[in-house]
Amino acid sequence: MRRIRRDFAVTACVCMIAGMLAGCGNSDSTPKDPDEIITLRILENDTAKSKGYLDELLNAFNEAHKEEGIVAVDANMDEYSNLAENGPYGYGPDVIYQANDKLMAYASDKHILPISPEDYECAEYIPEQAWDAFRLQVDGESYTCGIPVNIQEPMLFYRADKMPENWETEWDDDGNGVADFFENWNDLYAYSKYLRDTDPSANKDSQYGFMASFNNLYLNGEFIFSYGGYVFGKNADGTLNTEDIGFGKGNAATGLMALRQMAGLMNEGCIDDTITSTRYEKVADGTYFCTVSTPDTYTLFVEKLALQYEDSGMSKEEAQAKAEENLKMVELPVRLPADGDLSRDSSELADGDWVESVVMGGVNGYGISSYTKYKDACVEFVNFATSYDMIKTRQEMLGIAPTRSDVSAESGDQTSELIFQSLSENRIYLMPSVKEVDQIWTPSQTLLGDVAKDSFRANSGETEKYKTVEDMQTALDGVSKNIYDAIYTLAD
Amino acid sequence: MKKIRVYASSVVMGSGQLMQGQWIKGLLYLGCLAAFVTYLVTTGVTDIIGFFTLGTETADPWLGTKGDDSILMMLRGILAFFIIAAYGLLHAANIRDVKEGEEALAQGKKLPSFWKAFRTFTDRKFYVVALFVPIVGVLILNVLPIVFMILISFTNYGGDIVPPALVDWVGLDNYGKILTLTEIKGTFFRILGWNLVWAVLATFLNYFGGLGLALLLNKKCVKGKTFWRTFPILAYAIPGFITLLGFKFLFSYGGPINYYITMNGGTAVGFLDIDAGIKAKLIGLLVNTWCSVPTSMLLATGILSNMNTDLYDAASIDGAGRWKQFTKITLPFVVFSTTPVIITSFIGNFNNFGVFYFLRGGLYNDGYFLASDTDLLINWLYNLSIDNNYYGIGAAVSLVIFIITSVISLSVYVRSNAYRKEDSFR
Amino acid sequence: MKKKHVSKAAILDAVITYVILIAVCVIFFFPVLWIIASSFSRSGSIYDIKGFFPSSFSMASYVKLFRDTAMYNYPNWLLNTLFVAVFSSLIGTVLVILTAFTISTFQFKSRRLLMKSALVLSMFPSFMGMTAVYLIMVNFNLINQLWSLILIYAAGAPMGYLVQKGYFDTISNTIYEAARIDGATNGMIFRKITLPLAKPMIVYTALTQFAWPWSDFILPKLLLKNKELWTVSVGLASLDETQFSRFAAGSVFISVPIVILYFSLSKFLVAGVSAGAVKE
Repeated sequence: MRRIRRDFAVTACVCMIAGMLAGCGNSDSTPKDPDEIITLRILENDTAKSKGYLDELLNAFNEAHKEEGIVAVDANMDEYSNLAENGPYGYGPDVIYQANDKLMAYASDKHILPISPEDYECAEYIPEQAWDAFRLQVDGESYTCGIPVNIQEPMLFYRADKMPENWETEWDDDGNGVADFFENWNDLYAYSKYLRDTDPSANKDSQYGFMASFNNLYLNGEFIFSYGGYVFGKNADGTLNTEDIGFGKGNAATGLMALRQMAGLMNEGCIDDTITSTRYEKVADGTYFCTVSTPDTYTLFVEKLALQYEDSGMSKEEAQAKAEENLKMVELPVRLPADGDLSRDSSELADGDWVESVVMGGVNGYGISSYTKYKDACVEFVNFATSYDMIKTRQEMLGIAPTRSDVSAESGDQTSELIFQSLSENRIYLMPSVKEVDQIWTPSQTLLGDVAKDSFRANSGETEKYKTVEDMQTALDGVSKNIYDAIYTLAD
Repeated sequence: MKKIRVYASSVVMGSGQLMQGQWIKGLLYLGCLAAFVTYLVTTGVTDIIGFFTLGTETADPWLGTKGDDSILMMLRGILAFFIIAAYGLLHAANIRDVKEGEEALAQGKKLPSFWKAFRTFTDRKFYVVALFVPIVGVLILNVLPIVFMILISFTNYGGDIVPPALVDWVGLDNYGKILTLTEIKGTFFRILGWNLVWAVLATFLNYFGGLGLALLLNKKCVKGKTFWRTFPILAYAIPGFITLLGFKFLFSYGGPINYYITMNGGTAVGFLDIDAGIKAKLIGLLVNTWCSVPTSMLLATGILSNMNTDLYDAASIDGAGRWKQFTKITLPFVVFSTTPVIITSFIGNFNNFGVFYFLRGGLYNDGYFLASDTDLLINWLYNLSIDNNYYGIGAAVSLVIFIITSVISLSVYVRSNAYRKEDSFR
Repeated sequence: MKKKHVSKAAILDAVITYVILIAVCVIFFFPVLWIIASSFSRSGSIYDIKGFFPSSFSMASYVKLFRDTAMYNYPNWLLNTLFVAVFSSLIGTVLVILTAFTISTFQFKSRRLLMKSALVLSMFPSFMGMTAVYLIMVNFNLINQLWSLILIYAAGAPMGYLVQKGYFDTISNTIYEAARIDGATNGMIFRKITLPLAKPMIVYTALTQFAWPWSDFILPKLLLKNKELWTVSVGLASLDETQFSRFAAGSVFISVPIVILYFSLSKFLVAGVSAGAVKE
């Protein structure tokens, strides 16, 4: 016998694979037992989790729904995990908390269910503008795909105990009890300049005024949107026209000249993420007078400030209380100079020489995954989570600015009201709730970082790139074109 | 008469064997046939049809209607083809087996028992048994994804066409776009140029960095070799992405390097800024060298220890200088014996995703479509397909890259010493 | 060579050698030292660091790393990583050694084709296949399973068989011939002769197969959705920007096993690497 029997192996192979496939072919749907306990998987953001709010919420909900057999659990996933990737295969959460741009990008591919606001007790307390952030147009019909929880806009964070002692006499020319440098950018510039000029340290690096990483469109959008720039234009019917990208529209170029000027009073940390990551620390230790961030980071500032106080010998409780008292969060100055020149004395400027600042903002809220098996239970949960009590707890624990007007009215904290007032006065440009918004960040941030860098170029012997408004205009138009290309070049 | 069993087996696998009285074998074959048919009936046929249609019914998650998931269908289709091919192989084997049995019977021999045949098989065809699991594993988890990606490049998957929307076959459209759209074409060639330069430089630096370090440690005057070797090994032990994030911070404006520059009265340097250009590229090269030299040092140390030192003694007697010894003896020896490693390292560097993703991600330069001037093709691919959802185009670009790298490395490999010596296999 | 007379040139040579060595070590050690130092930073943030080193030190980050597990369950991640790395290493090593031995020792029809295919396959930009890998795992219900990772690492391992094959190439065929004459089957030859001879290579392989899952990031990120199942790399990457020293502490901690393994096995390593590269 010359030839050998063979191919046992191949036999086994085919058996194995066939078995596997036959097995998985009908593994799609296993019918559920109706008496089974309903488990809802909730995806909250990391801050809510680390500050203990999520536990509070889940416990309260589970306590209240013991009888009905509904249990809400932490989905325990990455807060930015992609619903489009996980949801269809059953690995996604049932309820998701996110900012409006993310939530609505999912919704536009139908991964988030449309809801009817009247199902929610909170609906009547929530202003229309907040709902608008979660509206979606499909085939001419308008759907609502999220329930607003809190509103976000960049805010100024500072230590009240680091205010100049003489601010009432020296820095409040209009005598309205609010320091001028919180009212207009020229005075913020002037005060920052004063701090820089009087920095006692040898390296001139111990005392700064306003500090921000300028490579961030969301936090620094006022330099574009206040001057007539926008992300996407609008069609006649009010829907967004994503083909019209308007970073260079109006006098946005002038606005960026102001940004460039402001960068000159910071350090090179404003070009990359350095200030974004140092801000908590450096505001706490007094190196930065003020910085820009969103309300949901309030607790992080307080935490660092409390540590600072503890180091100076206070007890933990004392330090915490003092930190909460001294860490202030106010809106960004509402006036920017129309000519983009921050160095002019504010007293020289007449009312017409200012523009109202328009910052970028967003609304965070709950969405219900289209892949949940228990839609009604989800509605129940969201209703619970947006109830007066829970939103109040959320505000107390996380420092957010709630969209529920009754909560914000009661708490005495005016942040929400301020923000809503700004929103109704069109001083907040909400992140567009469309998928295409994903493609605006990288190009715009590349430019902002580069413009910030321009104020340091002369110093290091490089040629400046944005000396004139015209240069700036060209760059902005370039960004708009790049974004257009990114969205449309490859899409048919 | 005798042919009947062969025919029987070519129609119903295993029936010929049963007729020959080989019960176990026959039943095994029959069992496989049954499993295969079951598979075809339950899912196989649907999967193959699905592969061609890529779905006909659009899902609507809002209404809860389960539609077709095009890309999952494509994957299952490919899997179905794999299984059919495997069945084909098995079927051919079955026919061959029956024929052999017939020949043996014709010569009046007795057919061996199942277990005897089994033992003979596992011994004589040891390589089949040994390579079976590795090959199946590689087929499913390496080859299948590659086939899938290649096929994706012939679809319109990406952009607005993502699930639940249905994907369609579009033929060569994506390749047409690469060739016709100026943004893509321009970016492709610019990045390709830098990518080649990068791969050559990085491979060169890593390789000779490692070799140089190994030679240095090999010198007779160096005491405590293990101690000295510790430091590169520490570098090797930290996971790559942590090292890279660390370096990003080291070179950032708030990082220690700029701290010392400004402390000494200098102006901070934007090592990785958008207009950093050559600086960023150099830093990328150096950081990459830092990460890779430890491995190549180990490698070179090993090779040098295998070297015949007689050659050096002879050379010193001939009065050859150290440089000459290096170029005439060490270098040829090392290079010739490590060609496959150099190729692997070249490919690794050509497709080095991590360095610029972690050091300088999130920047788009003017004149580049969704890429920065330090991005390699692989980073661009990532931007295209993952960040901007253009999977189809991304897949097409990746196939082009794949072809370029394959041609380069395969031609080098086939010419290499290591491969040619294979010809005179043992 | 006479010991007595050490020439000036030799001294100069030694001095230069040591200067270069010290420079190289500083270059390699400094970033590592910096990460270690920041892991001991008291404030937990990188920004109380002036230049390279924290202003005050404490073990707080390490304590936090193991105690404060509500958000970031490091001990759990460590166990997951260990589980995945150990099993991937065991299975992967068996597969690689088997593949390398077979391809080195046997001459069969499709051998060269296999070798060339392996080379070509390794050139494909691997993350482009990730979508497919994800879907395969979805199809087989293996998402959120640590075994899925082990499966992928182990199955991918044989692609890197070249080094091991080089080693087996150096084992003379005459030993095998002799064994065959004595009636040994191929399976016996592999078990009784090759495996004992290949010990350094096995150790080397096991270590490399261990190190890869130990520090890999992309695959676990893709396949493990549940935070409890994460591996250390994924977990560390998710740490908040304000937690740098915890990040550093976590990095230091997972590097330690690799360093220890390296030093306890360094003899085998050098032997393994060298043998693999040299084809004679």
